[in-house]
Amino acid sequence: MANVSDYSGFWVFAEQINGKIADVGRELLGKARELADSKGVEAAAVVVGDLTEDEVKELISYGADKVYLLSHPNLKLYSSLTYTRLLEDLVNKEKPEAFLFGAGPLGADLAPRVAARLNTGLSAHCVDLKLNEEGGLDQVVPGFGGSLMATIVCPNHRPQMATVMPGAMKMPEPKEREGEVVRVDVGEVPSPSPEIVEFKPKERSAVALDGADVVIAGGWGIGSEENWKLLEELAEVLGGAVGATRPAIDEGWAPEDVMIGQSGKTVHPKLYIGAGISGVMHHVVGIQDSEVIVAINKDPKAQIFEVCDFGIVGDATKVLPVLISKLKEKLGE
Amino acid sequence: MPQAVVCVKPIPDPKEWDRLSLDPETGVLKRAGISTVINPLDKNALEAALQLKDRFGWTVTVVSMAPPDTQKTLREALAMGADKVLMASDRALGGAATLATAYTLAALVRKAGDADMVFCGNMSLDGSTNQVVPQLAEFLGLPHASHVVGVETEDGSTFRVTVDLKDALLTLQHSGPMVLGLTKEANDPRLVSVMGIISAQSKPLEVFSAQDLDLDPEKIGQKGSPTIVSGLFMPEIKRRREILSGEPEEVVDRLIDGLREMGVL
Ligand SMILES: Cc1cc2nc3c(=O)[nH]c(=O)nc-3n(C[C@H](O)[C@H](O)[C@H](O)COP(=O)(O)OP(=O)(O)OC[C@H]3O[C@@H](n4cnc5c(N)ncnc54)[C@H](O)[C@@H]3O)c2cc1C
Ligand SMILES: Nc1ncnc2c1ncn2[C@@H]1O[C@H](COP(=O)(O)O)[C@@H](O)[C@H]1O
Repeated sequence: MANVSDYSGFWVFAEQINGKIADVGRELLGKARELADSKGVEAAAVVVGDLTEDEVKELISYGADKVYLLSHPNLKLYSSLTYTRLLEDLVNKEKPEAFLFGAGPLGADLAPRVAARLNTGLSAHCVDLKLNEEGGLDQVVPGFGGSLMATIVCPNHRPQMATVMPGAMKMPEPKEREGEVVRVDVGEVPSPSPEIVEFKPKERSAVALDGADVVIAGGWGIGSEENWKLLEELAEVLGGAVGATRPAIDEGWAPEDVMIGQSGKTVHPKLYIGAGISGVMHHVVGIQDSEVIVAINKDPKAQIFEVCDFGIVGDATKVLPVLISKLKEKLGE
Repeated sequence: MPQAVVCVKPIPDPKEWDRLSLDPETGVLKRAGISTVINPLDKNALEAALQLKDRFGWTVTVVSMAPPDTQKTLREALAMGADKVLMASDRALGGAATLATAYTLAALVRKAGDADMVFCGNMSLDGSTNQVVPQLAEFLGLPHASHVVGVETEDGSTFRVTVDLKDALLTLQHSGPMVLGLTKEANDPRLVSVMGIISAQSKPLEVFSAQDLDLDPEKIGQKGSPTIVSGLFMPEIKRRREILSGEPEEVVDRLIDGLREMGVL
C-alpha cells in the first residue's frame, strides 16, 4: 500500500498513434486542470512516442503545467511491455495522486497493465470525475443494472487510476499558459517485443454521429434488421445520423462504432430520438447533453421516459413510419 | 502436448438484465433467479483454442472464477470441445475487482500447468472493463494483446496476432505464450453438437478453494481490490417529460408541434 500523502498532482496519459496526439488526451487535460486547480496542485501530461518537444508543447495550452516527454525511435509504435515499464518508473519517481487514460484501444490496453504493475486500482469508462471531502477522486460510473450511478473510490492505493471514453469529457479551449516540457531520460529502449511486423493505418471515414445535430438511436426493441431501416430513413429525412445501444450492435443491426453510452460515444445533438431503448444509465450518460430528447417505447414504465422531453408510448415499428411520412409532408411545406 | 488455456466467465444472461437491480441501501446486486450464460466473447476465445486442438492436437483447458452454481454453464464449454475445466469457487473470492480477479485467474492458469497460449474474451458484457486481459498477463509475466481481430499460425508455434487500434491495424508476431483478448471479428464460434453434450458429462471439472490455490488472502476478493463503491445515487435530470399515448397519427402530430415549439425542427 502506498503512503497516500506522498502523492500529488493529476496526470493524463496523452496517447499518440503514428505521431499524432489523440484528442482524448486534450479532453482529459481539461478535467485534470480543473481537479488540480481545486486542490492547488499540478496537472501534467505524459507522452510516449517518437516526438519532438515542439510537437508536444501544445498540451500546455490545454492545461498541462508539465509535459513529460518520453521519446525514442523504438517508442514510435505501441508496445505494452515497454510502455508499462517506462510509466511504472516515472510514476514511482514523480508520484502523481491520479493518472487518467483515454479508453481508446491503446489506453484501454495499457492502463490495466500499468495499474497491476503499480498494484493500484483502475476504474473503467468513467463518465465523471470529482473530488470528495477527503480530497480523493470520486470516479462516477453507471451502477450494474444501470438504474443508478455508482461512485468508485480508491482510498489506500496510489495513483488513483481511471479510463474515460473519448468524447465523454468536454474539450477545453486552448489558452496561452506557462508550462514546461520535461524530457525524461528513457535510456536504452529495445525494439518492441512481441515484434511488430505490420502497422497499417486505417482510412477512417469520420463517423457521422460525432458532430450530428440530429441523432436517431435504436435499441433491442427495434426487433430486426428490416425494422432498422426505419431509423435510417428517419435519419435521412431529418439530416441526422443513426446510433445504437449495445444489444442492437450485438444483433448486428449497426456497426460497433455507433454505440452510444458509457462504453461508446457521447453525443451532443439538438435533437435525439431513441426508439426501442429501455434507457438504463449506461446508455443515458451518452445522450444527456442533447438539447431535446424524444423516446419511443411500448412499455409505459420504461426508464427512458424519466429522462426525456417527449415520450411516445407505442410500438416503434408503427410509430416510426407515421413519423417519417408526416415529417416528409411537413418539412416539405 | 501443447496446452491452450481459455478464461471463461459465466455472466447473468443479458436478456434478463431488466430483472437485475441494485439494492439502493446496500449497493448489492439482486440477481436471484437469473440464469447464467457464457460471456459471448469467451466463445470466440474458446473457438481459437479449439482450432489449435483440431489442427495440432492441443489440449484445451478452461479456467473460471465463478460461484459453484455456474458449473452447468461451464459444462457448455466442455460440450463445445474443451478437455477440462478448472474453476475457483470460494466465498473469499467474492467482491473481486479486476486486480483480484486477474490474480486469482493467474493462479488457475498455473494450476493448469504450462500454458502455451492463453485466450480470453476481450471483455465481459457484465463487467465491460477490458481490464482482465492485460492484468492477467501482468500476473503471469507474459506479453498480451487485447482487441485481437485475428490469430494465425502455420505451425502452431509462431503466431501472428492482429490487433485493431481503431485508427490502425497492428500485427504482432511471437513464438511463445501470450495472453490474448479476442473480439467477435476473430472467428465464428462453433455450435454445440449432441455428441458434444454427451461427452461433456464425463469430462473433468475440478473446483478449487482459495486455499487449494495457495492464494494470498490479502490479494483476493474484496480485500485484494483497491477500488470500492462508496455510494450510489440517482443523477438529477430535469426534462420536460411530456408523455404521449394514443393513436400513432395523433401522438406524432403532437410531437411535431412540440418539437417546433422547442425550436429543433
Ligand atoms: C459496464 C457496462 C457498460 C455498458 N455500456 C453501454 C453503452 O455504452 N451503451 C449501451 O447502449 N449499452 C451499454 N451497456 C448495456 C446496457 O446495460 C443495456 O443492456 C443496454 O443499454 C440496453 O439496450 P436496449 O435499451 O436497446 O435494450 P433493452 O434493455 O432490451 O430494452 C429494449 C426496450 O425496447 C422496448 N421495446 C420492445 N419492443 C418494442 C417495440 N416494438 N416498440 C417500442 N419499444 C419496444 C422494451 O420495452 C425495452 O424497454 C453497458 C453495460 C455494462 C454492464
Ligand atoms: N471471473 C472470471 N473467470 C474467468 N474468466 C474471466 C473472469 N473475469 C474475466 N475473465 C476473462 O477476461 C475477459 C475480459 O473480462 P473483463 O476485463 O471483465 O471485461 C473475459 O472475456 C474472460 O475471458
